[in-house]
Amino acid sequence: MTIFSEIYGIYFRIVSKIMERESVTETEIHEIIKKYGYRETDFLMSDKIIPNKEGTDWGLLKGEKIFHRVTENKPVKIFTELYKRWLKAKLNDPKIYLFLEKDTVKQLNDRLKDVQPLYKTENFRCSDMFSNGDDYYDEEYRKNFRIILSAIKHKTLLNIRFVSGHGKNIYGTFLPLKMEYSLKNDKFRVYCCQIRNGLNSGNGIINISRIESIETDEEPYRKHISMKKYFSSRRCKVPVTVVVTPERNGIERFLTEFSSYEKQTEKDPLSENCTVKIWYDIQDETELLIRLLSFGPVLEIVSPERFRKLAFERIEKQYRLTCAKNK
Amino acid sequence: MSEFSELIKNFEKTRDYVRDFFIYGFKVRNDFTGKSSRTYDDQKRRIESWLDGYMKYENAKHGKQISINLDSGHIYSNPLYRAYYSKSFTDNDIKLHFFIMDILAEGGKFSVNEIVSSIDQRYGELFEIQTVRNKLKEYIDEGILVRENNGKVMYVRLSEDTLESFMNYNGIEDALSFFSCTSEFGEIGDSILKSCGKENNIFLIKHNYISHTLEDIILLPILDAINSKHYISFRTASTKKNNMNNIPKVIEKAVPMQIVSSVQTGRRFLIAYYENTMRFFSFRLDQIKQVNIGGYCEEYDEIAERYNRDKEKAFGISFGNLKDMRVSPLKIVFEIDEKNEYYVAERIIREKRNGIFEKKGENIFVLTLDISDPNEAMHWLKTFIGRIKSIEGGTSFVRKRFEEDIEKMYCMYGGQNDNIQ
Repeated sequence: MTIFSEIYGIYFRIVSKIMERESVTETEIHEIIKKYGYRETDFLMSDKIIPNKEGTDWGLLKGEKIFHRVTENKPVKIFTELYKRWLKAKLNDPKIYLFLEKDTVKQLNDRLKDVQPLYKTENFRCSDMFSNGDDYYDEEYRKNFRIILSAIKHKTLLNIRFVSGHGKNIYGTFLPLKMEYSLKNDKFRVYCCQIRNGLNSGNGIINISRIESIETDEEPYRKHISMKKYFSSRRCKVPVTVVVTPERNGIERFLTEFSSYEKQTEKDPLSENCTVKIWYDIQDETELLIRLLSFGPVLEIVSPERFRKLAFERIEKQYRLTCAKNK
Repeated sequence: MSEFSELIKNFEKTRDYVRDFFIYGFKVRNDFTGKSSRTYDDQKRRIESWLDGYMKYENAKHGKQISINLDSGHIYSNPLYRAYYSKSFTDNDIKLHFFIMDILAEGGKFSVNEIVSSIDQRYGELFEIQTVRNKLKEYIDEGILVRENNGKVMYVRLSEDTLESFMNYNGIEDALSFFSCTSEFGEIGDSILKSCGKENNIFLIKHNYISHTLEDIILLPILDAINSKHYISFRTASTKKNNMNNIPKVIEKAVPMQIVSSVQTGRRFLIAYYENTMRFFSFRLDQIKQVNIGGYCEEYDEIAERYNRDKEKAFGISFGNLKDMRVSPLKIVFEIDEKNEYYVAERIIREKRNGIFEKKGENIFVLTLDISDPNEAMHWLKTFIGRIKSIEGGTSFVRKRFEEDIEKMYCMYGGQNDNIQ
């Protein structure tokens, strides 16, 4: 049993989509393949699905110009054993209660009572997840989570009172856009815009656990907010450039750790050093700085000068604390 | 010469290419040594087709670099899942799939012979009985079909658990949307969503190590072995240069205990008891190949009990060098401005794992880590550069290296110190 099987593959999925239709034209077949397939799928697959005189197609459609499936029925989709085992495992995750009522979880557990979960919670351990993650068992938290989720889907405004990361009490009207889950922090946050007099007055992130009260404004917000613009407003203007040396397996360690960032790499074939440009969310600048420093002398921040100076300030302070006094 | 296909038979070969394009990004054609140029060209073309829109090409000093370029925090579906959706199949596989599903969709149960003759009558295709029988057995294992025996004759019917019947539960689509982008087999949730024409457009994951999905192919047999208390054997290929020049090592008779991940370093490990050395080892999942489940381990519970004890002293995944008896608890003294920078202390509290954190004086705090491998804590401790007043205990190696590292960094950034070599 594995997800790496043709029954879960893109070709079977595309053929299924085509065979759901009572009739289909060649143009429509190409459109479906292009919509659901990869870049070359249409080129590589269409001859196998569209009937041809040589009979080298799969024989799943019949007709000329307008095609019909050779089968009587629309393809049936089954919730396979793999799907069931996966779902059973997820029912043990406390985050499931953010989405499903307790009764629903019970119904699903009853339905899957003879199914072995794909894994047990204790099979996995995260060694460095923060200890102050969100409390998914808290009823108030769950209620707030669902209000926000619903508002995101229906594009409705929310009046939220919360405590900011700096301890400030904030109250305002917000349009929630997307939810973000941080694996490291084990926390949910909401990307949102603050709305004043019907206009977007600024972008921000609210930690759901910091919310003290929340009320829904039933009216949907009609103006379009571009997520592309939203994210680009949070992206650094200039990337940080670092040079990583192969010492202590530094390049491999660094590139794995920073694989979640948008970056550009280049390796110097002579020195074997790797130059990396990293783009980041401006709110995460301090986090980026301390993570870069944690690589020690294996890595040097080259630019921008302002960022390099921030690193040096900390290093100099550390040097005074532990090295200079020994001289 | 065989025709190019964007589908693959062997996940293992492609897994390394996808990972290299994604993690490194700086590799050029010549870096993929040990493979023929035809193999490289085919793998590259395949990945370009799957990940169209995410590929980036740059002319570097040593050649044309190809990389998978994306910000993992701003994607709604992991594009690397596509490797799983690209399994090759035969013409018979796809024909039998849609023919069998059609015949059984009308209800009732059928024997193998009845299905073979129905396929012939309905679609004019004649299949060997054994071919159809094998396909039916495969689909019974997948839970698509249900087996019913009548005497010696095997009958099959379609499972009543349709995709639709599971999607009808309130909130299930949101749950699938979220879990489809998290680790631990997110590709399965994504597959469910895609099968019913849905997609996640709400949830984003921060600190998202999307290449972990490539490890799920070997994770499944490991988890089965853990939960059934069986031995496993596997090959491991370290990327460290000093590790036998990348020659794969074969690990026989390992007792798998747990999968441990680090959300800060982006690595996932299998912790296993290795009988040959009688101790626990951590193996990087991205370097494990070809896992085979062995026999039942009679001593599993005993070993697990020992693991639960030993892991209390692990800062991450290292169980230290048992021969090194010189390890004493690592004590880190922090200087923190309590009035203006108490958030630093709060950060230590939430990130210290099994350490004990105490206030020892005005603006002075001590973190004690009683761990088997003090070196493992040093990467994290360096995130506090500028706050560490002293380091005591641990080993002389970690203390010396910390001091040397700070000196080197100080010089690297322009600090004046004539003593540095």
